[in-house]
Amino acid sequence: MKRTRKGDPLAEAGIRYIDYKDEKMLARFLTERGKILPARLSGITARHQRQLSIAIKRARYLALLPYIKRGLS
Amino acid sequence: MPRQYEAVYIFDSALEEPAITEKLNRFHALIPQPGGEAIKLNHWGKRTLAYPIKKRETGYYVVANFEAAPSQLPEFERAIKLDEGVLRHLVVVNEHDYAPVRDATDRSAEEDDE
Repeated sequence: MKRTRKGDPLAEAGIRYIDYKDEKMLARFLTERGKILPARLSGITARHQRQLSIAIKRARYLALLPYIKRGLS
Repeated sequence: MPRQYEAVYIFDSALEEPAITEKLNRFHALIPQPGGEAIKLNHWGKRTLAYPIKKRETGYYVVANFEAAPSQLPEFERAIKLDEGVLRHLVVVNEHDYAPVRDATDRSAEEDDE
């Protein structure tokens, strides 16, 4: 993965509060194994990263997102 | 002081709709709304779970938005936990909209972060 200096994709989309029910949006910030992407790779702000981690953990609890994705080579 | 909450229920997908509605009514009878208003419900319907819960691969999702005093919640959640038809539930404080903010006027109504 290459490092890019990009703006916050969430701020650009005009999102102020991250919705834990929107698993399609949250999935963009997961690795292929289902780990949370570090902010330095996704380029989102610290404020959004904090919200994001809580949102992803709630979504995992509700089985909207997996805790781990297995079976990848 | 009452607060805004959001609850997500995951019901056993083997249940029929009337049974689910009956359970929801029973839970929500514990948290009467001001002015006798109905609780806002959003039925997502059957969905595949990201991982099995209680050996089930699918669940029936319902999202509810309501107002309640914090002291009412323990009894409410106890009723949900005792119900075998609920695979999982989540109750969170929901003090702001998730809708995208379009302009500065929308922000004036919001105060602090969680």
